[in-house]
Amino acid sequence: MARLLAFDDVHQAFGDEDVLRGISVGMDRTDVEVVIGPSGSGKSTLLRCVNRLTEFDAGDIRLDGESVTAMDVDALRRRVGMVFQGFNLFAHRTARGNVTLGLTEVRDIPRGEARRIADENLARVGLSAQADSYPAELSGGQKQRVGIARALAMEPELLLFDEPTSALDPELIGEVLEVMRGLAEEGMTMLVVSHEMGFARSVADTVTFLDDGVVAERGPPEQLFEHPERDRTREFLGELDT
Amino acid sequence: MDILPLQAGDWAFVGTNWWILMQGLYVTVLLTVGSLLLGFLAGFPGGAIEVYGRGPLRSVVRGVGVLLRGTPIVVLIVLFFFGVPWPDIGAVPLGGLLPLPAFEINGQALLASTAALGLRSAAYQSQVFRGAIRSIDEGQLEAARSVGLSKLEAVRHVVVPQALRRSIPGFQNEFTIVLKDTSIAFAVGLAELLTRGFELFTQPAGQTAVVEIILTVSAIYFVLTFLTNRTLDRVENRFAIPTGESS
Amino acid sequence: MTDREGRGVDIGDLPGARRLVLVAVGVLFWGWLLARWLHDWVLAPDVTGAAAGALEWLAGGVEFAAFTAASMPALAAGAWITVYLTVLSILLGLVIAVPLAVARIYGGPVLRWIALSYTELIRGTPLLAQLFVLYFGLPTTRYIRDIPGVGEGVVPYAAIWVAVIGFTINSSAYQAEYIRSALQSVDPGQLVAARSVGLSRLEGIRYVVLPQGLRYAIPGWTNELVYLVKYSSLAAFITVPELFRAARNIGSDTFRVLDIYLVAALFYLSLVLTLSVAMRRFEAAVAIPGVGSASERE
Repeated sequence: MARLLAFDDVHQAFGDEDVLRGISVGMDRTDVEVVIGPSGSGKSTLLRCVNRLTEFDAGDIRLDGESVTAMDVDALRRRVGMVFQGFNLFAHRTARGNVTLGLTEVRDIPRGEARRIADENLARVGLSAQADSYPAELSGGQKQRVGIARALAMEPELLLFDEPTSALDPELIGEVLEVMRGLAEEGMTMLVVSHEMGFARSVADTVTFLDDGVVAERGPPEQLFEHPERDRTREFLGELDT
Repeated sequence: MDILPLQAGDWAFVGTNWWILMQGLYVTVLLTVGSLLLGFLAGFPGGAIEVYGRGPLRSVVRGVGVLLRGTPIVVLIVLFFFGVPWPDIGAVPLGGLLPLPAFEINGQALLASTAALGLRSAAYQSQVFRGAIRSIDEGQLEAARSVGLSKLEAVRHVVVPQALRRSIPGFQNEFTIVLKDTSIAFAVGLAELLTRGFELFTQPAGQTAVVEIILTVSAIYFVLTFLTNRTLDRVENRFAIPTGESS
Repeated sequence: MTDREGRGVDIGDLPGARRLVLVAVGVLFWGWLLARWLHDWVLAPDVTGAAAGALEWLAGGVEFAAFTAASMPALAAGAWITVYLTVLSILLGLVIAVPLAVARIYGGPVLRWIALSYTELIRGTPLLAQLFVLYFGLPTTRYIRDIPGVGEGVVPYAAIWVAVIGFTINSSAYQAEYIRSALQSVDPGQLVAARSVGLSRLEGIRYVVLPQGLRYAIPGWTNELVYLVKYSSLAAFITVPELFRAARNIGSDTFRVLDIYLVAALFYLSLVLTLSVAMRRFEAAVAIPGVGSASERE
């Protein structure tokens, strides 16, 4: 059986700046992979290539054996959910409305049923009481949990997290990580770009250290964090500790 | 000073001829509503094309917009009046359903004025919408796309509802401008409010009541702009997206 | 910044590809117009005779162009009135608008109320109605006519002055709103800082708030200038022979109404587009890093 997600020598440049310079990694169902690396190392671009918010230049990304470039982009995005650093909640819709939009318009689910699914997913992220609140009335942590519920409701095969806690105040990070931890335990396949080393250490199956557009090191968290093979990895982890 | 501008007799003159001004008001309201509607119907897609369109279509929309915005409205009105072969619909009867004597207005002048005011308004409304669309965070569109909505669906369900709300202040502004500029249909003799006032004070009996008539006319415009602005304020509050700061 | 006080948005640019052609047309238009005005003042027909000849030659029998060329002198005379009506009114309007705006923000309750009523009344009624009040309603014309020198030599006659008064009043109300919102966008801490170095309140406004606020006001002020050029056409209805009325007169003499209005539209467009470009330059020239909005444009 094909791997759920496979990168094959993916290249991407913006202008004359190479952002990804040959990425080849893969993950299976229920895997949780955390991508770490310095800013500008191409982490977000890597993620955005998967659901083609960014179109890569060369190489291939396959979802369950099928090249994403060959798929209808909307169909692809239905199968791959995404959670954004800046939440990107629809400002004119309530928490519930944010979740139902994709259900009614993309999956053609009737309104009543969509509401039920939305409430179920809001409950999953602990926000039943906030279903009728507008994004501006929510805290950062609550907004991000709505973002997660919105992605979950589409029943994606793979969930992408683009620095989901970077825009949050320190005291709000915990509640979001807690939700993500729960999803991992339920068996959700997740590709996470994050600076939260504690989360990576305790939840990830695999940690990838991305540096300057290439995979500098990759392995199970205990190995990568405790016994990094490369100097560059050690250097990066060292900077984080201080 | 031999002229006392405000004399009781002149106010009485305004009083006995109030229905003439009301007929003018009727036409003014008709013209305002018609022009704004035309302006919205043409301006909204225009604004969307300026943001999302490309190639010749976008260039044409932009170019026409500049022409309409750069030309005085009075010139546009006469150009539309003399330059467009309007069907000869003759005199249009109006006012039957109101407690006003029925009256007729020049149909071609009405069409030309509505077209000129409406298309010029479209050119301005398109800028209002363009700005509102651009003010919506790019991430909202990305989020919509990432749950699988097509670009058109994303624009329709996420961008348009927010852009419309953000357009209300600009639309308010536009309403005031159009209402006041309907008075310029005077140039083609359309019997709107100001023209009716002008007819009143240029007839022999009205010549001492000039100030009274124009003040009355101005007051009507003022009340109209004032009331509508307050109403639109309400509309804006009604449809405002909660900000979390004051609710 | 959504600006509900303003009169709308800038007219914008034509698509980029046509820039060069436009510049060329602009140079031709202004070259000719300035030459024509010079001719009108110094009465040197040889200079422009040749130019008009060349123009007619260019027209090369295309009848519309010939008609256009023939009506050019009269339109140029009208355009001159349009230009000075606009310039005079916006400058006089500015003189009234600055204290009006300052009164709106910093004045006591009475002063604020007076300033508010003035701007609301003016902005809530049509300009044409205001011109009618001044021209037909009040004995303005008579008083002006009695002032010695009016209508003699280079001093314009009474109706033009009525128009200047009308446009000044009207424009002052709009300018006051632009300036008010610009002043309000200046950080209040600036005035506090000014007071803390020992400036009086008025001095603080004069030396700290106004220099910054007026720069913020430039885009709105540009709009106002453009609006005034366009709306100065309404002076035609109180007999002022500016550009639009000049066109109308030619139209009723020649019965070629549509042609002449098209030419007039081109005149206005040239004036307006030139102004927009010039004002953008001006804005860039007086810009201070961090102050004003030139950098915020795309």
